[in-house]
Amino acid sequence: MSEKKIRNIFYQGPIPADKIAADLQQHASNTDIGAHSIFIGQVRADQKETDSVAAIEYTAYPEMALEKMAEIRADLFIRYPLTCMHVHHSLGRVNIGEICLFVFVSSKHRKAAMDACEAMVEAIKKELPIWGKEICSNDAEYWKQNK
Amino acid sequence: MKILFFGSLTDIIGVADLCLNGITDTDALQQFLKAQYPMLSSAKYFIAVNQKMISANTPLKTSDTVALMPPFSGG
Repeated sequence: MSEKKIRNIFYQGPIPADKIAADLQQHASNTDIGAHSIFIGQVRADQKETDSVAAIEYTAYPEMALEKMAEIRADLFIRYPLTCMHVHHSLGRVNIGEICLFVFVSSKHRKAAMDACEAMVEAIKKELPIWGKEICSNDAEYWKQNK
Repeated sequence: MKILFFGSLTDIIGVADLCLNGITDTDALQQFLKAQYPMLSSAKYFIAVNQKMISANTPLKTSDTVALMPPFSGG
């Protein structure tokens, strides 16, 4: 599982909440797993100067993002004893309250899954060429800045 | 060569990509773009040549793809 393989992480539009339950169910057959750690990012209605955020529109440099993702993933498989790891990031418009990021990490014991999940979320925000544009209900637009 | 722009830079340039030739390195490319699009001078961005981030002046070939990318804001 530690080979550097390019896999798609991009999902057009919001990630359905049902997908999270379905993905979890799919792992039931892997009885080596003792822990799943999941991070779910949801679009927040931040208050802007004149209005609040209604949606975020995501764009990316997909080829570079997927290449970088394969590197980050391979590195985490070396650093932690993981069973598997799945990442889904939205592209296009995601409304407030909808899911834009789903990171799902599994391992034999909890610590590896929890630490690797946190490391993956931080790496996604810092290292992947993805940009979010916040769109307000009055059509004002702001390029998102990660904190 | 192909020049790609992302995020807030697309607002400055007005398009997502340009085709330019006769530019020999990334410093010359930046000079050319800043002369054409003065607002680029106050923008913060990283440069990747053929999907690899660069931090110093890098020679360019006609077949190269250069990306100008503002700070990332995924997640």
